[in-house]
Amino acid sequence: MKTQVFTQNQSLKTFGFIAAMLALFAFHPIYGQTKSPSTEVSAKERSVSGIVYDANGPLANVNVIQKGTRHGTVTNDKGEFKFPVKLKSGDVLVFSYLGYEKQDVYITDDTSFIEITLKDVNVEMIGALDSNTPYKSKRKKN
Amino acid sequence: MKLLPFIVLLLFSGQLIAQISDFEDISFKKADSIAHSHKGEDLANLPELSYKLTSNLDTDVERFRSIYRWVCANIKNDYSSYLKNNHRRQRFKNDSLKFNAWNTKFRQQLFTKLLKKKRTICTGYAYLVKALSDLANIECDIVQGYGRVSTTNVERLTIPNHSWNVVKLNNKWYLCDPTWASGIPNPETNRFTFQYNDGFFLTNPKLFAVNHFPIESKWWLLKGDLPTFDDFLNAPVLYGKAYSNLETHDAPKQMHHTLKINENIVFLYKLKTHIKKEDVELLIDNGSTRRKIKPKSVLVNNNQLTLEHQFDSSGHYDVHLYLKDDLICTYVIQVNN
Repeated sequence: MKTQVFTQNQSLKTFGFIAAMLALFAFHPIYGQTKSPSTEVSAKERSVSGIVYDANGPLANVNVIQKGTRHGTVTNDKGEFKFPVKLKSGDVLVFSYLGYEKQDVYITDDTSFIEITLKDVNVEMIGALDSNTPYKSKRKKN
Repeated sequence: MKLLPFIVLLLFSGQLIAQISDFEDISFKKADSIAHSHKGEDLANLPELSYKLTSNLDTDVERFRSIYRWVCANIKNDYSSYLKNNHRRQRFKNDSLKFNAWNTKFRQQLFTKLLKKKRTICTGYAYLVKALSDLANIECDIVQGYGRVSTTNVERLTIPNHSWNVVKLNNKWYLCDPTWASGIPNPETNRFTFQYNDGFFLTNPKLFAVNHFPIESKWWLLKGDLPTFDDFLNAPVLYGKAYSNLETHDAPKQMHHTLKINENIVFLYKLKTHIKKEDVELLIDNGSTRRKIKPKSVLVNNNQLTLEHQFDSSGHYDVHLYLKDDLICTYVIQVNN
């Protein structure tokens, strides 16, 4: 096994560090590939639906996608959505709409219905234009 | 403990000057062609758009490049909204209630217009670059501040008038200005013309600082002393082509100068690409006549350009520097007896 070859040549400490770093990248939670006992319990897939609001009420046409995938849907006129694929704990739904702050919602063991209010982007709208018109200075009148 | 130097390096790497030359080994051909192939897509499904622009690229800088190029090539500048907004902001600047109410109303109108017509002003560009980057897990922010160009009231900027972006790539922050990169509107006809300027992508912060003043000082991305607002208001006027030709504008730092006849003035620049001595010209405007002349001395040493000039008659001169027919910057020089 590779591990044995490694431990013969390298100190256990160095290997441990490299392995930990590899694990960090290889088993990123988005992909949900770790098979620890805790995820096995919560890996039951279930349907998720919900409703999205803004400060004025239900918000239509909000994009709802599963992070790291192309699975997604949009909210209807009542702000409602039913996610098209089943989700499990650890999955993340991303809610986005032009002019609003994006929000991530983590699916937990008891998530089946999500109610969420999107905040509109709070920036001052400003806009100077670039110009290639040569500058003309003001001249003193003699 | 062996890790300590590595961690220290990681912590301080964000402090180094961040610019496009950090990515010399990366070709943006593929990113640019992906952006081009999605020309005309709408903004109804931002996650899908972000996915299309980024999923076939290997590095964050290429992914960001594709988003940035798409925004620059597909979003038009909305000159009438700009004028309307400018007018109201000036009118309400001493009445915070009216100012905020106007901003909220205008913001809603602006996002509707962006969604339906793909037209906007600076903050709309910066917001869209950020929103698409967020969806691609690239850390990006909007910077609010002052932009200074020949047609803004260059000596009396009183309220913030411009937005641009910072993006974090390989743990370093970089600057870019998608609005100014996208093109130039004709102030007479109000018609916007797409004319991509690559100089505003991951620009050297020293050059950027000549005509961008961020409200939050962390977004200068400069080492050492930061420019004051007066330094900014007194700087030479830079044009878009400065960003395509110059790496930095080093001297003089001010726009206005008073010289005596035959007194020497020195101009220093770092160039992006090699230019020939013959390509350097000064357009001198004395208020009644304009003539193009060669500076008295031109020195090109590697990428360093040094010019020297003296005026042999008194007068008030607008001095415009041209490189290969590109208008770079303007100085105002008063020459006395």
